[in-house]
Amino acid sequence: MTVPPLSDRASGVGLDDGQHRHDERPPFRRARGVHVAWALGGALLLTALVIVRAVTADNLEAGLPDALQDLLTLSTSVVIESLPFIVLGIALSILVQVWIPESWLLRILPRNPWGRRAVISLFGMFLPVCECGNVPLARGLVRRGFTVPESMVFLVAAPILNPVTIITTHQAFGFDDGILVARLLGGFAIANILGWLFSKHPDPTSLLSGRFAESCRLDDDHGHDHGQPRSRWQQSLDLFVRESSILLPALIIGALVAGAIQVAVPREVLVSLGSDPLFSVLAMMLLAFVISICANVDSFFILPFASTFLPGSIVAFLVLGPIVDIKMLALMRTTYSTTTLVQLTTIVALLSLVLGLGVNLLA
Amino acid sequence: MQRWRGLWLIAALSAVTLWLAASGQLVLYIHPRYIVFTVIMASIALALSLAALASPRQHDDEHEPPPPRRDRMLGLAAAAIAAVVVLTTIVIPPATLSAATAEQRDINSSAGDDPAALEAASSADASTVARFTVREWASILRQTSDLAFFADKPASDVVGFVTPDPESDDLFYLSRFAVTCCAVDAQPLGVPVLLPGWSGQFDEGSWLSVSGEFISNPVATSTLPIVLEPTSVEQVEQPSEPYLF
Repeated sequence: MTVPPLSDRASGVGLDDGQHRHDERPPFRRARGVHVAWALGGALLLTALVIVRAVTADNLEAGLPDALQDLLTLSTSVVIESLPFIVLGIALSILVQVWIPESWLLRILPRNPWGRRAVISLFGMFLPVCECGNVPLARGLVRRGFTVPESMVFLVAAPILNPVTIITTHQAFGFDDGILVARLLGGFAIANILGWLFSKHPDPTSLLSGRFAESCRLDDDHGHDHGQPRSRWQQSLDLFVRESSILLPALIIGALVAGAIQVAVPREVLVSLGSDPLFSVLAMMLLAFVISICANVDSFFILPFASTFLPGSIVAFLVLGPIVDIKMLALMRTTYSTTTLVQLTTIVALLSLVLGLGVNLLA
Repeated sequence: MQRWRGLWLIAALSAVTLWLAASGQLVLYIHPRYIVFTVIMASIALALSLAALASPRQHDDEHEPPPPRRDRMLGLAAAAIAAVVVLTTIVIPPATLSAATAEQRDINSSAGDDPAALEAASSADASTVARFTVREWASILRQTSDLAFFADKPASDVVGFVTPDPESDDLFYLSRFAVTCCAVDAQPLGVPVLLPGWSGQFDEGSWLSVSGEFISNPVATSTLPIVLEPTSVEQVEQPSEPYLF
């Protein structure tokens, strides 16, 4: 439990650890017992839950109507597919906020705003998390002193300019029709244009959702002098609790809506539009918006459609999907205001449309 | 209490995920290649959740002004819906996608053309052909309507579930979902089977094992050139891996 004071940590609650520890010890010990009991209780509850699960799986005949059962299967599938990435994202966000000295992140960035944004849009190369995991990371970056437009550049570019996505897209398409190249350059361009547009905003803090802006403000002006000193491990666990409370309801509701739309809208409506240069792009953008799967794996999903759809529409799917979809909007709403999300969606959709049409004309 | 909501959600979901993996049912939701990653991250989430419960509380909530009423209600509603969804993952038995979704997603509409597979299939020996699943047959049927190709290639014990053919009551599709990532992207594939009056024998969605020969389609109302005429149709249990990966 010994945490050496760190001089390069600008805002951390554990800074003055050393002085307070002695008089905190006895109550802290007693509290410890209570919390071990909590953890044991939690473990018992979860075990009970798994037993209930095992019993109902064998004995219960749900008899739900097909549409409802499929809605549950689809939503659960989105949640189970995204959950590991969310956990990874929260873990990396904790790493960035608690364990990496602030100066590291800010030192490597150029001073010039275009250069800064360009470098930030390549952060995904060493933080390979798909889009849902990037939301907690982007929140961590804002808390670490990045501007709001810079956090958006990261959020938009990282799921596309990311080694896992590049490898899977290459596995699926190779260099055929310029799909891979268009996806990477398109993602980079859209992220930087978006960052530039939002950097013109007179009051960037107003782009954030009220609650998130409030929690950032609180982080900034208290923490040095209130409460017990917290070790880095405790800070990490606090962050895990906070991020999961915010992201999990958003993820589950996003998954539920995405599942519901898939049950309700017949797939052939979209597929029948495949060979028109304009409508194929619009149909694929709509599909990307609805389907809400992670950028790391969406190439495999879209590959079977490549025989019926024009390459520009595939590129539009691969560029829009990682940035804006139903699940992502629910997740991003935890951090940005509704107005911001409407603007972001409009800009990204227009740019993806232009990109898709461009590829269709060239290919 | 509010700050612990997410912790319970993530802990419960992780526990259910681990149970699904242990009972071999995670493949109902995701492709097998993601199982290891998913299990590792779910274990980490579970460990962090328990550690967070055991760690001393931080009382910074007291300094925060309470959020506006509207936000609080929205947060509560969101958490309640999320809790209900998580509860269904605990009590409703895991299930594969139904035939209704296969129909709704338009069977074979997005199956890929794979000329290499067709080439390989044309020179395949009898034992290879006997192992063809719905995926191989659907891909071959998509690419050729040459009866000579099927002359010495019978379908043997092809397993799939029954999906009605929208064009004709005499035909049904013996179908499977092909999954590339997770159940969300499941693409229905199917082999048309000629069995007039099938709906009196089998329910939609029931699992069958079918053997037979491919013939030129005699049904006038159908646009399919070639169909499978069964020599044997057996009702079977749903396979433990219902999707084709």
